[in-house]
Amino acid sequence: MARYRVETACLLAPAVLFLLLLFVVPLARLFSLAFTDEGGVFATFGVLAESEVYRRVMLNTFVVALAVTLITVLLAWPVAYALSRLKGFWFALALYGVLFPFWISVLVRTFSWMILLERNGPINRLLQGLGVTDQPLALLFNDTGVMIGMVHVLLPYAIMPLYAAMARVDRRLLLASDGLGAGLLDTFARVYFPLVLPGLLGGATFVFLLSLGFFITPALLGGANAITLSMLIASFVTDRLAWSLAAAGSLVLLLVVLALLAVAARLLPLDKGMFAR
Amino acid sequence: MTPGAVQQSGLSLRFAGAAKSYGDVEALKPTDLTIAAGEFLTLLGPSGSGKTTLLNLAAGYQEPSAGRIFIGARDVTHLPARHRNIGMVFQNYALFPHMSVVDNVAYGLKVRRLARSEIARRVEAVLRLVHLEGYGQRGVQQLSGGQQQRVALARALVIEPDVLLMDEPLGALDKQLRRSVQLELRRLHEEHRRTTIYVTHDQEEALVLSDRVAVMRDGRIEQVGSAGDLYDRPVNAFVAGFIGESNLLPARVTAIAGGQAQAEVDVLGRSLTAAVAPGLQPGQPAALLIRPEHVLVGEEPGVTAEVAEIVYLGELTALNLRLESGATLWARRITSHDLRRGTRVTIGWKQEHARIVPT
Amino acid sequence: MTRQPLWLSILAHGGAGLVLAFLVLPIVAVLPASVNKASFIFLPPRAYSTRWYGEFFLDSEWRSALSTSLQVALIATVVALVLGTVSAIGLRRIRGRWHSLLTGLFLAPMIVPVIVTAVAVYRSALDVGLAGTVLGLGLSHAMLALPFVVINVGIALRTVDDNWLRAAAGLGAGPWTVFRTVTLPNITPGLVGGAVFSFITSFDEVVVAVFMAGYANKTLPVKIWESIRLEYTPVVAVAAVLMILLAMLLFGGAQALGRGQSILKKSEQPQA
Repeated sequence: MARYRVETACLLAPAVLFLLLLFVVPLARLFSLAFTDEGGVFATFGVLAESEVYRRVMLNTFVVALAVTLITVLLAWPVAYALSRLKGFWFALALYGVLFPFWISVLVRTFSWMILLERNGPINRLLQGLGVTDQPLALLFNDTGVMIGMVHVLLPYAIMPLYAAMARVDRRLLLASDGLGAGLLDTFARVYFPLVLPGLLGGATFVFLLSLGFFITPALLGGANAITLSMLIASFVTDRLAWSLAAAGSLVLLLVVLALLAVAARLLPLDKGMFAR
Repeated sequence: MTPGAVQQSGLSLRFAGAAKSYGDVEALKPTDLTIAAGEFLTLLGPSGSGKTTLLNLAAGYQEPSAGRIFIGARDVTHLPARHRNIGMVFQNYALFPHMSVVDNVAYGLKVRRLARSEIARRVEAVLRLVHLEGYGQRGVQQLSGGQQQRVALARALVIEPDVLLMDEPLGALDKQLRRSVQLELRRLHEEHRRTTIYVTHDQEEALVLSDRVAVMRDGRIEQVGSAGDLYDRPVNAFVAGFIGESNLLPARVTAIAGGQAQAEVDVLGRSLTAAVAPGLQPGQPAALLIRPEHVLVGEEPGVTAEVAEIVYLGELTALNLRLESGATLWARRITSHDLRRGTRVTIGWKQEHARIVPT
Repeated sequence: MTRQPLWLSILAHGGAGLVLAFLVLPIVAVLPASVNKASFIFLPPRAYSTRWYGEFFLDSEWRSALSTSLQVALIATVVALVLGTVSAIGLRRIRGRWHSLLTGLFLAPMIVPVIVTAVAVYRSALDVGLAGTVLGLGLSHAMLALPFVVINVGIALRTVDDNWLRAAAGLGAGPWTVFRTVTLPNITPGLVGGAVFSFITSFDEVVVAVFMAGYANKTLPVKIWESIRLEYTPVVAVAAVLMILLAMLLFGGAQALGRGQSILKKSEQPQA
């Protein structure tokens, strides 16, 4: 038995060591910077909390993440539902439609949106051609652009768990409800929706958490007009070399994410498989 | 519901030429069948014989490709399940996993928008009926298989359905539990006489429960009748083989007159006369049917045979008898130890116990 | 089997079609952009040319970015695959508290926001002189890729019955032989999946790379990132097309190899 334990320890040790050195220690070192500012132990958090600008950034991050999550869930619903009903060729086609964007770099996808959303880009010209608008809409370098890009990137994360939940719904439960006299609305509200709710909330939580830490898409599509917390952290490091502020911001972001994750884990039977992308 | 009083609840159910096909596959061939109000009818057959299709047509979960379906006097052919007032007990029950026992049972009443007090009263009554008092607040996944089965039954009964439909409701239970639930179902039926269609592939279950049994094969009803009808007067070799044990010896029918057939049975090396299943024509492939308990050993004059195998079943013994032609048949008799393997015997049967059936 | 009203069916499938178009079509937009003849991106192009593909491969900066990216991705894949496989096997041998603790640790790089990881890793890399090196990039990408290997191999390991290992050992095979002859052949699909995910994770990664790359060792995404933020030409679209092609090649290949394991398999339907 002792031999078995030693073998197991040898199997696990390299990766644990690797992660400690490259991940845990660097994180700890970074966070320690937040508390070793010359202004005092919690001075950095004070700066973040008191500045009107920083408060607006955090609020904006939250609002954008919330809006993105809502839109994503709404758009994910019909796709997940169709996936759960389709078979054969159409199922494969729809599934690849969801997986294909998943495979493509976020940077490339964001770049595509930059081309499309430009002032003189195809979408603005199409809208003008259709007479929807007289002059080009500002779709880029503001929250609109950020939300379009983020919804696009995050949709698959909402679709897959929702689809999994819908596919798991036993058809006979719906038949049973029907046979007991329930109309479509009753069957939906009392049986179908409660059964897919864990998948929906799981996907929404995941999307919300990813939204909070999103960097590339808001940085490229939002620019200076739509700054998020992650952009702020990056600019502390690259533009201002304000490491202690970057550390404080990072810690805040991580704690918020972990807190939400803990709440979600308590409320939802989170599928481990959900994280396998 | 005064205890002991026999009520009759429910309506008659009638299939008129109802059929269901998927593309080229005929799941149910055009079928006429009437279940009387208060009757308990079992659909018996192997899987894929069309019994579940017939049940789904009755429930309204599928629409027939042809024909009509009536509940009472009402044509329900195109009426969705939710408007039919049927009670369905599914295989594996299909209980709502996110609801308690009470919520499962109350479901049909809630969607009918009944008053709370009325719902509570009826749920309590039906839980008492199926002996689940005190289990109301449990989650359905905390229940044993037998308890889940009773919740499913309660959920179907509480809406006072015109017809009760059950799809292999005891399939997931172990054999002993199945016995006791069968008796329970019979008690409930005898108290309430609710029109019931019951699907099973277990012949014993069918015989225990039903007023009438419909034996199905390949999307068609082969025969409908009481247990006795099916056992004593099967219309063909399939029904004979499906209900009880049977010896079927190939026979050639040469003449038919007055319900009796003249047939040559080569493996016996003789020709004989026996009752014939209706509709059989001379020359059609046929078999001589004799139930094992009707084979008499030591009958003189008889056919000579040799005891090939002896199987003790307790108070009964099954004998495998090899005829001179090499064909074998089974006999059953009260156990006695006068025979052993290799003993030569003569066997026979009473003429009224032999029957010629098409194969 | 449930009767679904026609309007609902049309609404659901129509909506799904629109959303899927929203998912797929924008990505394809870089393709026409890359064969645009003009020196600025205009869609749809007025004239077509492959000149920007030429520019991409003639420009030493783009070429070296591509080569750096491939080197980094290779290091990341090898490191993540070896460490991840070994730990997935180790994880299977433990239970209880330690199991959840270590699983949490192995999956943590996926949960911590990348910007946080990037800043932290960059800070420490500066201190030990790994910032701006290919090795530093490769190792930090290996860390990000590790969870995918642990997950993929872990799933594949579930198909390996412990009794097979006992049987092989009982027949006289040593631990290494058991691994090579019994475990390995059965987890190959998971290994392939893990390797593909690792490679793509590294090849596509921007955030850590933007901090870590420095001047000498820009990866392809870093070069794209910088070009987009300054003045971009259709060369960026060419780079984007190349990234799409590589991802499709790798994922398509992995799907073809690992059909049995693929996510394509619709979740098991309850018994009808």
